Amino acid sequence: MNVAATPGQGKRMLTSPARVGVYAFLISAAAFFILPLYIMLVTSVKPMEEIQLGNIFALPVSFTIEPWRAAWGSACTGITCEGIRGGFVNSLAITIPSTILAILFGALNGYALSFWRPRGANLLFAILMAGAFIPVQVMIFPLVRILAMLGLFSSLPGIILVHLIFSMPVMTLLFRNYYTSMPQELFKAARIDGGSFLRIFFQLILPMSVPIVIVATIMQVTGVWNDYILGLIFAGRDNLPMTVQLNNVINTTTGVRLYNVNMAATILTSLVPLTIYFISGRWFIRGITAGAIKG
Amino acid sequence: MKTKPLRLSNTLTSWVALVPMALIVIIGYLGTVLWTLKISVSSSRTLPTHDFVGLTQYLRLFNNDRWLLSLHNIAIYGALFIIAAIVIGFLLAVFIDQKVKGEGLFRTIFLYPYAMSFVATGLVWQWMLNPEAGIQQAVRKAGFSDFHFDWIVDQDMVIYTIVIATLWQAAGLVMALMLSGLRGIDEEIWKAARIDGIPAWRVYISIILPMLTPAISTAFVLLSTAVIKLFDSVVAMTQGGPGIASEVPTKFIMDHLFGRANIALASAGSIVMLITVLALIAPYLYARSRATEHKGAE
Amino acid sequence: MGLIENGGFMIIGKTKCILLAACLLGLGTSAQAAPPKAEVIHWWTAGGESAAARALSQAYKAAGGAWVDTAVALGEQSRSVTINRIVGGNPPVAAQFNTSRQFVDLVEQDMLNNVDEVAIRNGWDQFLPETVLKAIKINGHYYAAPVDIHMPTWIWYSKAAFRKAGIASEPKSMDELFTALGKLKAAGLIPLAHGGQSWQESIIFTSVLANVGGKDLYLKVFRDHDKTAINSPAFKQVLTTYKRLRSFTDAGAPGRNWNDATAMLITGKAGVQIMGDWAKGEFSLAKQKAGEDFGCIAGFGSNSPYIIQGDVLVFPKTSNPEAIKAQKLLAAVTTSPATQIEFNIHKGSIPIRTDVDASKMDICAQQGLAIMKDKTRQVGNGEIFMTPDQNGALADILTAYWNTNIPVEKVQRDIASALSNN
Repeated sequence: MNVAATPGQGKRMLTSPARVGVYAFLISAAAFFILPLYIMLVTSVKPMEEIQLGNIFALPVSFTIEPWRAAWGSACTGITCEGIRGGFVNSLAITIPSTILAILFGALNGYALSFWRPRGANLLFAILMAGAFIPVQVMIFPLVRILAMLGLFSSLPGIILVHLIFSMPVMTLLFRNYYTSMPQELFKAARIDGGSFLRIFFQLILPMSVPIVIVATIMQVTGVWNDYILGLIFAGRDNLPMTVQLNNVINTTTGVRLYNVNMAATILTSLVPLTIYFISGRWFIRGITAGAIKG
Repeated sequence: MKTKPLRLSNTLTSWVALVPMALIVIIGYLGTVLWTLKISVSSSRTLPTHDFVGLTQYLRLFNNDRWLLSLHNIAIYGALFIIAAIVIGFLLAVFIDQKVKGEGLFRTIFLYPYAMSFVATGLVWQWMLNPEAGIQQAVRKAGFSDFHFDWIVDQDMVIYTIVIATLWQAAGLVMALMLSGLRGIDEEIWKAARIDGIPAWRVYISIILPMLTPAISTAFVLLSTAVIKLFDSVVAMTQGGPGIASEVPTKFIMDHLFGRANIALASAGSIVMLITVLALIAPYLYARSRATEHKGAE
Repeated sequence: MGLIENGGFMIIGKTKCILLAACLLGLGTSAQAAPPKAEVIHWWTAGGESAAARALSQAYKAAGGAWVDTAVALGEQSRSVTINRIVGGNPPVAAQFNTSRQFVDLVEQDMLNNVDEVAIRNGWDQFLPETVLKAIKINGHYYAAPVDIHMPTWIWYSKAAFRKAGIASEPKSMDELFTALGKLKAAGLIPLAHGGQSWQESIIFTSVLANVGGKDLYLKVFRDHDKTAINSPAFKQVLTTYKRLRSFTDAGAPGRNWNDATAMLITGKAGVQIMGDWAKGEFSLAKQKAGEDFGCIAGFGSNSPYIIQGDVLVFPKTSNPEAIKAQKLLAAVTTSPATQIEFNIHKGSIPIRTDVDASKMDICAQQGLAIMKDKTRQVGNGEIFMTPDQNGALADILTAYWNTNIPVEKVQRDIASALSNN
C-alpha cells in the first residue's frame, strides 16, 4: 500500500488493489454483523408453526406481518394486551432530559478537570471512575433509600437523577480525555483575552466538542433508552419506559414464547437509537479542531 | 492588570461546577460502597439486618465453586474481549475512513448491534451457535459434514462464544470512538507524511496510533467497565451454563441479591470485585493521569 | 361464599353512603363509594398467564374493586421490584410470590399484613392443601392468598413419536420409561427433549426423586435435610438415575428454552419431556389435544407423589384503611371457587381447592385434581421446604453434576453440606 503522490486529492489515495482490499474487509465484516439481524427479521415474519420447526436461517414460507402489528399494538404485557407502544412517550420523557443533562455535566466536569484542574479534583475523578466499575444492581438498595429520603422515589425526576448518577463516570471520562488531547494554546489565548470559566466553556470549548458530543449522545441515548432495571425500579408506575413492556413481551416464566413477536418488538424498540446513529453521521466530519487552529 | 481577582473567581467557579460531581461521588458512590461493605459483614438475607458476622460471607464465597469459576471466566473473557474490541474497532474505523462509498451505511451496520436489547439478540446468538439448529448444522447441510462448531455446549469453550457475541455488540462503539479521534487529526499530518513518501500502513502505526492514545484509553476504560458488569449477555445466551461453566461474577452477585435472597453474600462478592478491579486498574489510571498532567503543563 | 358476602358488604356500604349527607350533597367522591383500589405487582405477562390474570382482575372488579396492573416479567425481577417498593416506602397493595419460603424474611421483618380475618371467615384451614397452608401460615397468621397450584414434573410424550418408535402403551414405571427412551433412540428420534437450564435440570431431578426415591426419601432430603438419608444408597440410586437420563438428550440441549424443547415434541422430533403443567400452553398454541396428540403422566404408580408448587398474593404492610380493605377483598375474591376455576383454566394449573366444578378443565388438569383429592399424595416442591438460598445451592450442584463428570459420592456430600447452611 503506497500513498500515491497526487496533489490536491485529499489525504488518502490508495492504489486499486488496496481499494479492493478495503472493500473486501468492510463487506465481510458487514456480513458478520448483519447475520443476526437477518435471523431476527426472518423470524419476525414467520408464523409460529414455522419457527417451531427450528430452521433459523430459512426464509419464511408463509410471510406474515402480524407479529409486527401484535408487537406494537396487541401483545400481552400483563392484563392489558396493547403491545409495547404504551411506554414510548415515557421513554422519551426519560431519555431526552437524561441525555441533555448527562452530556452537559460530563462536558462541564471534563472541562474543569482538564483545563482548570482545581486541587483535589483528580482524586474526585479517580473515585468517580472507580464507581463506574460497580455493577448497577449492587447500588440499587442504598439508592432506593436515598431517593426515598429525598422524596424522589418512583418519580420522573427520580429516574432522571438516577441516570445522571450512573452516567456521570463515563460521560466525564469521555470529555476529559477528549479535552486533554486538544491543544492548550487556544485555551490559554482565551484566558489571556480575559475569558471567564463559563464564557470559555460555552463559546470556545463546547463548539469544538462536536465529535465527542456525538459519541456521548450515541452512548447515552442507547444506554438510557435500552435501560430496563433502573426504569423498572425508580421511575414509578406511571413513568415505566418502553423496555419494561418489551421485557414483558419477551420474557415469561410459564407462558408460551412468541418468538416472531419478540423479534419484531425488539427491532421496533431499537429504532430510536438507530435513528440517532443514522442522523449523527452528518457530524462525523473532519478537521473541526484543525479549522479552528488555522482560523 | 485585572487578571488576579479574575483568576480567583474562576477557580471558585470551577469548584462550584464540580459540586454536582462531588455530591454524586460522595453520596452516590462512596456511600454505596460503605453500605455494601457493612452488609457484607452481616447475615442479611432478603432485607438488610444490622448484625455483625465478621468474615463469614467472604469465607463462604471462596469455598463456592461457582464464584471461583466466575472469577476465572471473567479474567479470560476480559483479556480477550478488550484486546479484540480495540483491534477490531480500530481496523473498522481506519477502513471506513478511507473515503469509501456508502460510509454511512457501513457505519450504521457496524453500530446497530449496540442499539439492540441483548435480551432478544442474545437469544439469536444462542440459536446461531447451537449445534443442532444453528451454524454447525447449516454448514454441515451445505456439504461439510465434519464441521464442528459446538462451543456453546462445551464446558471449556462456552466463554469464547460470549466473547464473540459481545464483540458483535460493542465493536461498533469502539469504532465510533476511534473514528471521532481519527477525524480530529489534522490534515497537515497526512500531507506531511505524503510528501515524505511514507507508506500508509507506517503512517498509521507510527504516527496515527500514538495520536489516538486518548481515544484508545477511553475505549479501554469503557470496555473494562463493560467486562466487570457482564451480565445480560450471559443470561440471554447461556444462563451461566452449560451447568455453571459460563458463570460470571456479576451474575453470581445478581442471583444472590434477589433470587437467592442473600444480599450479604452478594455484597461480599461486590466488595471482592471492587478491590480486584481497583488493584488492577488503579496503577494504570494513575500513570495515565500523570501523563496527561505533564502534557497539559507544557 | 366469599363473593356473596362481599357483594353484601358492598350493598351495605352503598346504603350507608346514601344516608350520609356528604353523598347527597355530592361533595367530591365519598371515600365509601370509591371502589377499593388494588395495585398488584405480578409476573403473569404472556398468553395464558395474561388471560388468567385478566380473569382474576375481572372477578375483583365484579366484586366492587378496582385493579391497577403492574406487570413485571420474570419472577425474580417482579419480586425484586416488590421488595424495592416496600423498602422505598411505596408498596403495592398486593404482590405475587411463589408458594414457598420467599416471603418468610418479609414476615420476620414485619413488612406484610396478614389476612387472618378472611382466612378464618372463609375457612381456609378446611379446604387448602396442607402443603399450601404450611407455606402461607406463619406463626399462626395467614400472610398470603394462594392463587394456583402447578405441578412441575409432568411427563409429556408425543403420540406420533411413540407410534414411530413402536411404543404401544404409556410407560408405567421408571424402567419402562428407560425402555421407551431406548426405543425412541433406535427409531432415530430424540428420546428426551430437554432445555439445559439449571431450573429444568432441577425439575428432572425432582421427578426422579419422587418416582424412584419415593415420598419418604423425598421428604427426608428436601424437608428434613437428613444427612443419613442424603448419604444413603437409595439416594445415590436417585442421583445416578437422574444422570442416566442425560444420555437420552441431544447435543443441542444446553441453554435451550423449555418452549423449544416442547416444540420438539409438537413436531414429532422428540418423544418425552419432563416439564410442568404450563407446557399445555405450547401444545394448545399448536392446536394439539391432550389424549390425542400428546399424553401426560403425573407419576409412576398409583401412589406416586404429586408435587405441588404455586403462586400466592402477599399484602405489604400498610395502615391505610382503604388499602387494607382492598387487600381483604382481593384475598377473598382470589380464593373463591368461581374465580379459581376461571383463573386456572387459562393458566393451565389447578385450583387450590378441590370443591370446584372441574368439568371445564382439560383431561390432564382433571387427572391432577383427582390425584389431589388423595391427601397422602400431596408433596411440596423444593422451594416450599428450603430457603431460596438452599434451593439455589442445590440447583447449582445438580446442574454441575448433570453437565460434568463428578463422582456421585461427592455430589451427595455437597448436597448434605449445602442443605445444612441456612
